[in-house]
Amino acid sequence: MTSNLSRRAVLKGIAGLGVGASLAGCSAPVLSGLGTGGDAAGSLAYWNLFGGGDGVRMTQMLDTFRAANPNIDLKAVTLAWGNPYYTKLSLATLGQKPPAVAVSHLTRMKNLVAADLLEELNLEDLARFGITPDKLDRTAWENGLVEGKAYAVPLDTHPFVMFYNTDICKKAGLLDSSGQLTPLDSEDKFFDAMGRAKEASGQYGGVVAVNSDTSTPWRVFQSLYSQLGGQMLADQGRKVVIDEAKATQVLTFLQKWTADGLFPAAADYQGAIASFAEGQAGFYFQGEWEISTFQTAEMPFSMTLFPNVYGGGRYSVQADSHTLVIPKQPDRDRQRLDGSLMLIKSFLDQSKTWAEGGHVPAWVPFRDSAEYKALTPQSNYAAAAAGAAYDPEGWYSGSGSNFEIVAGSNIATVLSGQQQPDAALAQMRTQLTALADTASPI
Amino acid sequence: MTASDILEPTAARRTVDAAQVDSRHKLFNRICAGVLIAFALIWLVPVLWALDTALKPNEETTKTTWLIENPTFDAFGRVLRDTDILRWFGSSLTIALITTIGTVIAASMAAYALSRMRFRYREALFWLVLAGIMIPGQVLIVPQFREMDTFNLLNTFWAVSLPQIPTAVAVFIFKQFFDGLPKELEEVARMDGAGYWRIYARIIMPLARPAVAAVAIFAFVSSWNDLLWPLLVLSNPDIMTIPVGLATVQGAFGIRYADTMASAILGAVPLVAVFLLFQRNIVEGIAGTGLKG
Amino acid sequence: MSTAETAVRPSTETRERPPKAGRAERHGRPAAAFLTPFLVLYLLFIIGPALYGLVMSFFNTSLVQSGLGSFAGFGNYAEALQNSDFWSSLWHTIWFTILTTPPLIVLAFVFALLADRASRGRWFWRLAFFMPFILPSAVVALIWIFIYTPELGLLTTGLAKIGIEAPVWLGDPNWAMPSLAITTIWWTLGFNFVLYLAGLQEIPRELYEASSIDGASQWQQIRRITVPLLGRTTTLVTVLQIIASLKVFDQMYLMTQGGPNFATRSILEYVYDEGFTNFRTGYAAAVSMLFFLVVLAVSAIWFGIVRRQEKGA
Repeated sequence: MTSNLSRRAVLKGIAGLGVGASLAGCSAPVLSGLGTGGDAAGSLAYWNLFGGGDGVRMTQMLDTFRAANPNIDLKAVTLAWGNPYYTKLSLATLGQKPPAVAVSHLTRMKNLVAADLLEELNLEDLARFGITPDKLDRTAWENGLVEGKAYAVPLDTHPFVMFYNTDICKKAGLLDSSGQLTPLDSEDKFFDAMGRAKEASGQYGGVVAVNSDTSTPWRVFQSLYSQLGGQMLADQGRKVVIDEAKATQVLTFLQKWTADGLFPAAADYQGAIASFAEGQAGFYFQGEWEISTFQTAEMPFSMTLFPNVYGGGRYSVQADSHTLVIPKQPDRDRQRLDGSLMLIKSFLDQSKTWAEGGHVPAWVPFRDSAEYKALTPQSNYAAAAAGAAYDPEGWYSGSGSNFEIVAGSNIATVLSGQQQPDAALAQMRTQLTALADTASPI
Repeated sequence: MTASDILEPTAARRTVDAAQVDSRHKLFNRICAGVLIAFALIWLVPVLWALDTALKPNEETTKTTWLIENPTFDAFGRVLRDTDILRWFGSSLTIALITTIGTVIAASMAAYALSRMRFRYREALFWLVLAGIMIPGQVLIVPQFREMDTFNLLNTFWAVSLPQIPTAVAVFIFKQFFDGLPKELEEVARMDGAGYWRIYARIIMPLARPAVAAVAIFAFVSSWNDLLWPLLVLSNPDIMTIPVGLATVQGAFGIRYADTMASAILGAVPLVAVFLLFQRNIVEGIAGTGLKG
Repeated sequence: MSTAETAVRPSTETRERPPKAGRAERHGRPAAAFLTPFLVLYLLFIIGPALYGLVMSFFNTSLVQSGLGSFAGFGNYAEALQNSDFWSSLWHTIWFTILTTPPLIVLAFVFALLADRASRGRWFWRLAFFMPFILPSAVVALIWIFIYTPELGLLTTGLAKIGIEAPVWLGDPNWAMPSLAITTIWWTLGFNFVLYLAGLQEIPRELYEASSIDGASQWQQIRRITVPLLGRTTTLVTVLQIIASLKVFDQMYLMTQGGPNFATRSILEYVYDEGFTNFRTGYAAAVSMLFFLVVLAVSAIWFGIVRRQEKGA
């Protein structure tokens, strides 16, 4: 009995301490959790999905903002990339406790608008802080409008690009006199270059992620398919309009990448990076964000536009943009809106830091500056922003969405040699049609 | 040959057999103990490894070795300072306390009525509560979310606690216990003029300590560890519970294994402390409910 | 004396004589008061949503739109039953159950047997095997994700030391589910262990002593005495294990996000994805109902088995 009593005394002590500490240290959250408190005035919540190298840069930018605005209590939260981020953002907005500012991919932002989860951005409010449409990348801005109304401020465009090992390409005779890569603007030139790179590297001409990754195969396909002018979906995703001929042409082309050993038929995301970093291939195809990985690996590389194999005069490549949005707020707070716009402007002003991560800045004053042009290899592919081919609209589409997963996994079967182009195309069409036929929840 | 001659050899043989059996038993027991110790150590490895990693500086964590060259508590400090883990602890504690107290009170009161009182619809209500055991909570997450949305309770502690309080199993545990109490207790009290509330609060409940302990501990632990439901209704990082916070919020710094392991250890500490304090009650609670089946 | 008794008895008689309605009245109001806290919450948050969910499943309800949406009849159910994602997530759940239930029963039984023999150090076994059980899933996930990390995770390097090349645990579609199963076994074995240990301690020692005098070996004792007497416990453990495995969500959500390529998505995670990521709450409600039927079926089978056991015993 005595041991029980003393144990109970200990328990009471701990409980009291715990409750006391938690109440003392965070009475505001506890009160708000009980539904009786609100957010502290002058505080700003900002959500993003940037981990890794981007995360480091974002933190830098946030610190700069904090130093310049000590009166604003900025609370930045990083959530896991992809569906978990967007689900949480939606649930928070539905639950009346959204952040003041959030990051969103441009393709996903459209669906958030359709679900009525974003605040419309007033052009006058934006102008008060020096943000005007003419200072933002035209393609990104116009693609972000919904029925002429603005809901997002683009921060960057992050296109699919081509990395190349400068040593191997030099050895293969693919660099011109100024050290730039000769353009690969036809299927023949592409295969020629890959063949020569394969000889020079001793293993592969190029490498691209094929296994356990649906985004990369989709991006490769979309870049080429959009150069041919092909569309995937129409009518807000309700119709599948894949052009049989164009899609088959692209898939057949992709099949040849791996069929003759120019590219490995089995490589996952990390494996492809490792192959390129270790000099096993002359070329690597991925989004520009991997620039930090290869800079850290200290290997001889550069970057340029994804080859314009089919596009001719009209260049096109798969891309998405990171934008800043304001989720629907439970109340109108002028102070918070101003704080949010100040934060957005601060990010735009720090485009240099952000561009160092490989992204093409959407902020025109920086993009057109000499400083950016001097930033190589990042500025090599700046033209990609103008030719950005965003994922088609649809409630099941967007960055990391079911659309990408379905399309990407079918394209991957062609790259890995598991399926013939026509079979993969038929399967993709069937699966996408099933998605398209489902009643939209938004 | 006397009787004792006949008897003694057998007696000697039996003691020899017993000794052989004994030593065989002992060897077998030692082997059993050895095997068990080995597995127990294996079972301890993950948590010990996490602790080991948490005590390393981040740079050392890429070397997969138990040896720590520069042991430090820095990871814990960083987690406590830079993340909201203390806030999450407060949330978890508040919600678990609300849930536990609510469950014990609501279930014991209902069980008392079902056990001790006669009234119309008693049978029907009993079956209604029984039906609740059949419904796993996870089946209800979609309609419950809509409901919380309608009541404007999203992102509050009530949204997490209120659906967890009406636990049918708790009612049954209490009812079973009350059914076993002698009726004379109440009759004496009623003759002294005590009302139902007095009997419940002053006589029945103090006797029900084992049942209260079992229900309270289960309610506390399952509330603390719940992930799916709080994940849905708590999206404000300020008020997330520890499991939701750990599951949702990433560090913005890329992969820092020491910090991650430190946050895992800190997230585990509260309940491990509860476990160490209440080991016997927890184990008895499980065993008791299990055996009653 | 007798007058006092008669004085008392008539009054008790008069108290007992009023009809049942009177007694019900007297019990009715306090009963209502005692039942109210539980019943109100129960009806509001369990029974109510259950009915609401059933209704929702017949409509195209959306998370981001108010109201029930357009009427869908059995459309949601038809879609689910024809949808390969539904069936594969159901299969993944069943596969997970198959992978985890036998080890969780057999290993727990074996460890409990061993622990029962060891008279000392009970607190050590309890700590080692049961402590993981009280850890939140998020903590378990963080620790095991680290252990499963390619290249520098404990498992991969440990296996490399004995010359085995480890797979990419959580990234390989063939190994992701077994990896989750291993984590789950580590995490929840303690619960079954405690149940078995308690059951073992209920078996009277005399049975063992008597049988060893009769010359029974350890093996035979286990087979003839221990296992049959633990029949009830085993049934309970098995059913609880199966039902808990059917409800699995945390490990998948935290460690693989249902991947790679949805290879580990459980049925509850499918409900979460469809209802809360894709906003299709009507469809998710229908899937929930189908899932409920599966759980109900398993419970019914258990009920039947227990009934039969009790009749037999």
